[in-house]
Amino acid sequence: MIKVAVLDYGIGNVRSITNALTSIGAEPILTSDNELILSADALILPGVGAFAKGMQNLKDRNLVGLIHQFVDSGKPFLGICLGMQMLLEESEEFGFNKGLGLIKGKVVKLPLKLGNEEKLPHVSWNEISPPSHGRWNNTLLESTAISSDVYFIHSYVALPNDQSEVLSHTFYGDGYFCSAVQKDNITGFQFHPEKSGALGLNMLSEFIESTRKINYESN
Amino acid sequence: MNQTETFFGLPAEVKFCKKCVISNQRPSSTVEFENEKGEKKEVINFDEHGVCSACRYNEEKDQGIDWNQREETLLKLLDKFRRNDGRYDVIVPGSGGKDSAYTAHILKHKYGMNPLTVTWAPHLYTDIGWKNFTNWMHEGALDNILYTPDGKLHRYLTKLAFHNLLHPFQPFIIGQRIIGPAMAARFGVELVMYGENQAEYGNKVDENNIPTMDTKFFSVDNPMKMKLGGVSVADLIDQHGYKMNDFTPYIPTKPEVLKEKGIQVHYLGYYLKWDPQECYYYAVENTGFQANTERTEGSYSKYSSIDDKIDPFHYYTTLIKFGIGRATYDAAQEIRNDKITREEGVVLAQKFDQEFPKRFFQEFLEYIDTTEEEFWETIEKNRSPHLWAKDINGEWKLRHTAARDGLDD
Amino acid sequence: MHKLRLIARLDVKNEFVIKGIHLEGLRKIGNPNVLAKKYYDEGIDEIVFMDAVASLYGRNNLFNIIEQACKEVFVPIAIGGGIRSLHDIELALKSGADKIVLNTQAVKTPQIISDASRVYGSQCIVASIEAKSKGINKWEAYVDNGREETGLDVIEWVKKLEDLGVGEIMVTSIDQEGTKKGFDLDLIDQVSNMVSVPVIASGGAGKINHIVELKKKTTASAVALASLIHYNIHSIPEIKESVIAQDIHMRL
Repeated sequence: MIKVAVLDYGIGNVRSITNALTSIGAEPILTSDNELILSADALILPGVGAFAKGMQNLKDRNLVGLIHQFVDSGKPFLGICLGMQMLLEESEEFGFNKGLGLIKGKVVKLPLKLGNEEKLPHVSWNEISPPSHGRWNNTLLESTAISSDVYFIHSYVALPNDQSEVLSHTFYGDGYFCSAVQKDNITGFQFHPEKSGALGLNMLSEFIESTRKINYESN
Repeated sequence: MNQTETFFGLPAEVKFCKKCVISNQRPSSTVEFENEKGEKKEVINFDEHGVCSACRYNEEKDQGIDWNQREETLLKLLDKFRRNDGRYDVIVPGSGGKDSAYTAHILKHKYGMNPLTVTWAPHLYTDIGWKNFTNWMHEGALDNILYTPDGKLHRYLTKLAFHNLLHPFQPFIIGQRIIGPAMAARFGVELVMYGENQAEYGNKVDENNIPTMDTKFFSVDNPMKMKLGGVSVADLIDQHGYKMNDFTPYIPTKPEVLKEKGIQVHYLGYYLKWDPQECYYYAVENTGFQANTERTEGSYSKYSSIDDKIDPFHYYTTLIKFGIGRATYDAAQEIRNDKITREEGVVLAQKFDQEFPKRFFQEFLEYIDTTEEEFWETIEKNRSPHLWAKDINGEWKLRHTAARDGLDD
Repeated sequence: MHKLRLIARLDVKNEFVIKGIHLEGLRKIGNPNVLAKKYYDEGIDEIVFMDAVASLYGRNNLFNIIEQACKEVFVPIAIGGGIRSLHDIELALKSGADKIVLNTQAVKTPQIISDASRVYGSQCIVASIEAKSKGINKWEAYVDNGREETGLDVIEWVKKLEDLGVGEIMVTSIDQEGTKKGFDLDLIDQVSNMVSVPVIASGGAGKINHIVELKKKTTASAVALASLIHYNIHSIPEIKESVIAQDIHMRL
């Protein structure tokens, strides 16, 4: 069974993620232990809540270096919600805070103009679509239909500097925001795949599959 | 050692039913117009396993009774009395609360009868009570006669009942029981249908298996001997300055008249499996019934007995006389009907039983022309020493409770 | 484009989902986990479990149910009823809930909303309001599952909740709930216009048209259903198809 380490840093509802992984046949390991993380086949960085707190918790547990180490190994790495936001360099939430810097850019409060019906936090099922044609090939979203609905709950969004790193975008208010990022072995979902029904579970399956591709290649 | 005195001839030892939360102090239904001061009360029966007869009856309801057969019997009964010529064929006494709402509506709309609902007016209608009462007709599509007895006399009798018997509800109960047959006699209707059998709450076991109410509850030979508020009509006329004509509302139909007119009083609860909470749902869905907005003082419930401002005082007096408050009654019923567990009932009784009904207290005092001082004097006279004792702070506490936190427990 | 969220509301007492009317009555409907799974399979967007008697008995029962639910239900799950402290919130989140619903305690100690939002993030914190009509355009907030008055005006209270940092508001009309006669549209409209956080409308849906009306006449973000689905009046796919056919966006 594919071993997926889920980073335990005192933030977020990790049970849903571990349950989701179990249900698709992977072995979730909820941990902050160096050994277990580096020896896992894949790593998920979950998270809900405030950027500053998330980063502080990572630092307190000496996990920042570990994350970089894992990413360098080339094994699949997935950041979910706050986990995706922390991939960026900094956030303006409650003053500036430094992120992991794995993706160049920053995190800002959703800058779109909202109508009467659109509220903040953005709590809704909303559609993801690729910013350019064919963008989803060879990514975790390969088998996901365009304009699929996934579950969002956030007030802040990522603004990657490099547009080619925007994996999907989503319309809210009067324009689009970045709803997923991808760079090499790093993927980030602003939405919650573990809360997006069968469709979300399918994305996590793709994540599991991607570990096999690496294993295959390294053979 | 002196045996502790017990008022009303209640059992000296206080026990609680092993299945519900009712205690063995609960009085059975009496013929109210024989009720006099200090008389010995018959109480609910507990069997050798410590289970009360109401719980046993409910077990039987679940397992021992063929409800299909009972409904068949009902159909035959209704077939006998049903009329299609524009005349009423069944009298349904009630106030538009959940039980009478269910009874009247189902008789009309499911069983094709032509009911006339008759209401002995509550002392003081609550707003929600009045709304439910009118909705009963407007949304339930039912005919009704609201009978309001002379308010001054009714108040006086209520006052007497409070001070003599600590039972302010007595005149109301008397009226409620006699109005069904009385209206039947006047309208030329033979069938009177009440809702639930009092056996649900623990009357004599042998009363469970007959569908009819004993005539003794609603008929007398000699009205002069009737006791209202603990005082005989004869004395009320002689010593309190009233005339026979003042008591017209309270004089039940004579037995021979009932017999001649073929009047029968039945309980629908004998024929259809009774569940008070389901009556609530039915009433909301069919007669525009609404639960109260707040829970009733002394209980957790919002749908039971909500139409009379005097009502909370009825339950407060049962608390004083028998140690049983409203929450206990409500919880016992819900335990038996499998809505809550006994543990939950114990918690509810503990939490709410002893709550004093403040909301309508001033109105009640005015209604029975009694000062607050006089109110408490009468209350204190009726605390049976075997139920109540003062704690070290000088506050009255029950000696035994279902939660086992009484002074003696 | 805004997609109206469809939420299944399960009021729970001990091991049963129950359904009352005007937040009164304990009629049993079925097993909470079985129903949650059923609704998930049928395409519900979100599930809310409310402990209907927690305040009455001073206890918390739903954590076991939530633990089981999140093994097989992969949409957001909220839990409420008897949540009294940050510790309770912690336990609830640990058992797998995504959102915590507070009412009685928020009224008693409003500080808990701001504290919880700060510690766990406002997106986890939903304030529930039980509203009873007290006249034209006037509603009073109740607590203890519709048993006790508070004297609080709903519209004022809801603004205060937003200021305290709540993430969403679920408003239930006590007058309408369980009756299947439709939502209290004035109530929902006013609450929704008062705040900029998402509002979940609860209480009264009995026909698909009620949902359509709600969307057309208010800016509610989500609708909580109970009687409509517990009594099998319509299935979730039927509801969604019908609503989408009337030009209202929903997740399919």
